[in-house]
Amino acid sequence: MDLITSDGSSSKPSPASSTTAPPPIDSGAPAGPPVPAVAERKSKKGTLMQIQSDTISAAKAAFNPVRANIMPQRQKKKPVSYAQLARSIHELAATSDQKSSQRQLVHNVFPKLAVYNSVDPSLAPSLLMLDQQCEDRTVLRYVYYYLARILSDSGSQGLSPGGGIPTPNWDALADIDAVGGVTRADVVPRVVERLTSEALNEEVEFHPRRLQALKALTYAPSSNSEILSKLYEIVFSILEKVGEPQKRKKGIFGIKGGDKESIIRSNLQYAAISALRRLPLDPGNPAFLHRAVQGVLFSDPVAVRHSLEILSELASKDPYAVAMALGKHAQSGGALQDVLHLHDVLARVALAKLCHTVSRARVLDERPDIKSQFNSVLYQLLLDPSERVCFEAILCVLGKFDNSERTDERAAGWYRLSREILKVPDTPSVKDSGSDEKDAGTQKATKDKSSKTRRPQPLIKLVMRRLESSFRSFSRPVLHAASRVVQEMGKSRAAAFALGLQDIDEGAEVNTYSDNNDSYDSDINPTAPSEGTRRVPPVSNGIGAKDTIASLLASLMEVVRTTVACECVYVRAMVIKALIWMQSPYESFDELESIIASELSDPSWPATLLNDILLTLHARFKATPDMAVTLLEIARIFATKVPGKIDADVLQLLWKTCLVGAGPEGKHTALEAVTIVLDLPPPQPGSVSGLTSIDRVSASDPKSALALQKLVQAAVWFLGENANYAASEYAWESATPPGTALMMLDADKMVAAASSRNPTLAGALTRLQRCAFSGSWEIRIVAAQALTTMAIRSGEPYRLQIYEFLHTLAQGGVQSQFSDMHTSNGEDQGASGTGLGSLISPMLKVLDEMYSAQDELIKEMRNHDNAKKEWTDEELKKLYETHERLLDLVSLFCYVPRAKYLPLGPTSAKLIDIYRTRHNISASTGLSDPAVATGISDLIYEASKARVPDLIYETTKKKSAEPDALDDDLVNFWAANLADDGAPAMNRVNEFLAGAGTDAPDVEEENIISRPSMSYDDMWAKTLLETTETEEYDARSSGSSSPDSIGSVETSISSHFGGMNYPSLFSSKPSTHGSSQSKERPGGSRYGAYEGPSSPIREEPPPYSSPEHRRYESFENPLAGSGSGSGSHSFSDGRPSSGNSQFGAALYDFTAGGDDELSITAGEELEIEDEVDGWYYFANGRAAAQVKKKRPGRDGKLAGLVPVLYVSPS
Amino acid sequence: MLLAVLIANSEGNILVERFNGVPAEERLHWRSFLVKLGVENLRGVKNEELLVANHKSVYIVYTVLGDVSIFVVGKDEYDELALSEAIFVITSALKDVCGKPPTERLFLDKYGKICLCLDEIVWKGLLENTDKDRIKRLIRLKPPTDF
Repeated sequence: MDLITSDGSSSKPSPASSTTAPPPIDSGAPAGPPVPAVAERKSKKGTLMQIQSDTISAAKAAFNPVRANIMPQRQKKKPVSYAQLARSIHELAATSDQKSSQRQLVHNVFPKLAVYNSVDPSLAPSLLMLDQQCEDRTVLRYVYYYLARILSDSGSQGLSPGGGIPTPNWDALADIDAVGGVTRADVVPRVVERLTSEALNEEVEFHPRRLQALKALTYAPSSNSEILSKLYEIVFSILEKVGEPQKRKKGIFGIKGGDKESIIRSNLQYAAISALRRLPLDPGNPAFLHRAVQGVLFSDPVAVRHSLEILSELASKDPYAVAMALGKHAQSGGALQDVLHLHDVLARVALAKLCHTVSRARVLDERPDIKSQFNSVLYQLLLDPSERVCFEAILCVLGKFDNSERTDERAAGWYRLSREILKVPDTPSVKDSGSDEKDAGTQKATKDKSSKTRRPQPLIKLVMRRLESSFRSFSRPVLHAASRVVQEMGKSRAAAFALGLQDIDEGAEVNTYSDNNDSYDSDINPTAPSEGTRRVPPVSNGIGAKDTIASLLASLMEVVRTTVACECVYVRAMVIKALIWMQSPYESFDELESIIASELSDPSWPATLLNDILLTLHARFKATPDMAVTLLEIARIFATKVPGKIDADVLQLLWKTCLVGAGPEGKHTALEAVTIVLDLPPPQPGSVSGLTSIDRVSASDPKSALALQKLVQAAVWFLGENANYAASEYAWESATPPGTALMMLDADKMVAAASSRNPTLAGALTRLQRCAFSGSWEIRIVAAQALTTMAIRSGEPYRLQIYEFLHTLAQGGVQSQFSDMHTSNGEDQGASGTGLGSLISPMLKVLDEMYSAQDELIKEMRNHDNAKKEWTDEELKKLYETHERLLDLVSLFCYVPRAKYLPLGPTSAKLIDIYRTRHNISASTGLSDPAVATGISDLIYEASKARVPDLIYETTKKKSAEPDALDDDLVNFWAANLADDGAPAMNRVNEFLAGAGTDAPDVEEENIISRPSMSYDDMWAKTLLETTETEEYDARSSGSSSPDSIGSVETSISSHFGGMNYPSLFSSKPSTHGSSQSKERPGGSRYGAYEGPSSPIREEPPPYSSPEHRRYESFENPLAGSGSGSGSHSFSDGRPSSGNSQFGAALYDFTAGGDDELSITAGEELEIEDEVDGWYYFANGRAAAQVKKKRPGRDGKLAGLVPVLYVSPS
Repeated sequence: MLLAVLIANSEGNILVERFNGVPAEERLHWRSFLVKLGVENLRGVKNEELLVANHKSVYIVYTVLGDVSIFVVGKDEYDELALSEAIFVITSALKDVCGKPPTERLFLDKYGKICLCLDEIVWKGLLENTDKDRIKRLIRLKPPTDF
């Protein structure tokens, strides 16, 4: 679309259109008031033109040639619309030879245009004209900037890489433009053609432009293979000419002081390799590799950096080829050694990665010489003065590369770090090549220093000291990064222990090459703070003390712990993660526990960080299952301290996995760790004491109190589900038949006997019993259910014990007996005692039926025995049916393994078996039970990375001597947790373990603070887009002698900007629109001064006519120029003309670009609730309507904003 | 990947934003997250003192310069320290263009130049030029190394 030619009112032909824009289509209205003419042609397509007319309305109004050079003083501060800026470019491009035009472009037009996130393709012709004709460098620089923007604009709304004020989908606009618009497809080939020819222009004077042209070209979307191949062609042709290494000149690292030719050469090398870096990697292409290797020798440091980055990426695909291609560069004194001294941090980081990849490549196992060359460079990077580089080198040594490393790689990393020695090669690097000859003789000061660090050093010592000195830094990013390195160290160490690597005895003395020189720190890190700030003595202070890895680690961890005092909560979180990873399963974790407890008492911790730590516990467990109990103890602190902030699903998943991981010996402790929370006294409102004690729950606000209750409920449920597992007590494994002597005992003796037999189960029972009485209503219900589960799953005497208890509970009889045990929570327990009667009765009924069926069976058996007769098939069938019926009944309450569970008691086993064999009934239906299968697969971390399940499987396998492929305990355990939907938690854990997650954070609700100040958008309207008083220029305000109409449009723009407060963007509730706008209304009146005399008219809410009518007006208004302001009244007050609702249909597909927008599909029926008139949408080139769908769309949204022209009212 | 560079005024209104490889639907979230981070933590912070945050595997480094707050967001090789490098380049370019730590007015006056500087500093999600003299030359369409 050409802004100018589409405007028929222009009596002065636009210079832009005459030269570069597509030929104007005769609108049939050569002169005079254009609006009627346009309006008359209001076909459906004409209606759609409205979109563009909204964008350009202001421009049209301003486009009166007669007034072109008038700058009314009172218009001084009027914000400039996109359309005005676009028009100015067209105009000024035509007169680009004039100094004043150039000045206006540079000072007013281009900077303001940068506010928008894209520019429309119709600007391209003018930009290209400027590119060809203008001489001014600054103008040209902007031209390249905007051409790149046009190339990169992906076409869909708001998706361009920029940001800033959203612009419409220009192509969509052009497509529906009846007059014939300019789309990207129209202009991109021309832009590419122009830039290509410039990028190939070899004139010496042209070369700065050549670089920018090449750069702009790289912004073309990589999906366009035509442009891509063109780019490869250009880049390789440049490198063909300049890529060959020249005879090295001195002074390469001081950029100044080369001859012109070599400087131009270097600039071109830079531009070409930078462009190559942005192109998709082409691993199989030898030219690609060849050029990248050449790039290492370039004199431009940025070019070297890009070459190394390309090489390191290539190396991860084909390390052998890269190593061979680099050849002698990697040798001592080669080009890679030079990079060690290159003043570009990222170049050295890339070098570290490259060296790591090559030195660990399996394919190079045959070439240990090459591997050791790269390894040596990597180790030297440990001495790098930049933390970024040094830390990268440490991570590489530790075997951390991306997040996909295998355990053995990490374990080997720990081994390297703790065992290897850094020997700096004797050959001096080329950095000092100028002083090579002096090397043997005079030793300069720098030499002294390097010789000191050149002593062979154990890596571990080097790294520990470096980290310690980093922990003394005041820079938060450094502290954060150092903690992260320690965390990774912990991971590698855990991997080494998990694999049981030989020779990782940490008590062994590390090599004593170092002479414990105190000046060490300042050697390797000249930027380290001075002695005065040191809080912790360096490792090596103890003279003559022997350093062991353990002592080095202990010293480091001491410093890490002190870092927990950092103000920044993110640093603290990282420190805690590091501590968790460095915690060994066999050491006391008291310190860690108390650190976490006191940290969690700080209310400033954001929930996301706490959950991150919780996930770290998962990862830690995965690495070292022996830590299960320790981790559960730590997790307990989260449960009691910050119940409201943590993800209960993730916590419960941790309980489960740790309980299984704890193994036979740890099971009891693990269950205790989870459920001890049930024994804690309830939170006392308002009590601050004991905040840091872990044996005290804290729930200071209603929200966390509620969360705590939910968590207690979960713990009760967990206890019921897993007590049998933890206690290894199952009815189907118990040999004790019912009706034995135990049952004859009285209740007290039975309890005593039970607890002596299985303290774990007895303890769980006691806890649940207490909960069934003293908890809140919700907890009592869960407790009763948990007890039933236990009753069903346990053998005698536990079942009977629970049965009795439930009876009393149902009657409320023992209330008094227990009442002294519970602190009243103020709830009325109800007239029926516990109030649980109705809930418990079906549970009791099941148990009743089981007991009576058992009695029946015993009776029958006795009869048969006495009569000495066999069981008939009929009798067996009856028995089997009872068995099945009871099984079904029991399964309603909890999971039991159907194949093994005997509701009629162990004595029924033989008879049931006989019947099954006779009738060929498979007993193992239980295992193929889909519920069981699902339960197991759900709980497997991930089929492909099934380390934990394997491990769990192995653990359980070991302890169970059963031949079953699937351990029944496990089946039972997992299946029992079906009710708990662990899947989302599982996903979160898996995502965390994979190190994924670059998605945007959810901002917590407390963020919804209304800022009365101006919003982002208001900003633009108010300050940036307004004309600065000092730099007024004619063309900008040309034709705006109709201040009233323009003023009103743009006043409404600013007031709508005021309404777009950021936080409210998250609420998609339509109501916020009304409210935020009305709230911000006073903002609009700030512009009252510019509203002109007709403003009073606008104060009145306009009568809502029809959308057609309104659109007609908005189309007409800016052009009318009559100053009546009649057209703008409907939207000038920025209020939705609400109250009107009508039906309509979607004309076109529209994809929501923001939270408050709604995606619609063409033809969809809609209810149009409001038309939210506003300048904001005018700025974007569209008015918006609030619509409601009949059914929720793909995104599940039912209501939102769509451009008004995308819907047609019926 | 350098995911985002964002510059806001002291009230949390965004002045400049450049996203790379961030899905459009997530930008609002990032924006609010960063603005919130700034509002909560940047009060009273000295010019150019670096603050850090992270979200999952994404790092954030931010600071104050004059009236504006600067946020950079990155992942992978752009960790806290690489972002510190990037933010250092940005702050020195800003100081260079504005002549001092900018007021909001000054920032807006130099808006175009600032955008060009950013264009030279971050190129398709990768840090490009770090030397401020070089950046100065490039935004005036001079070659990176002059003769």
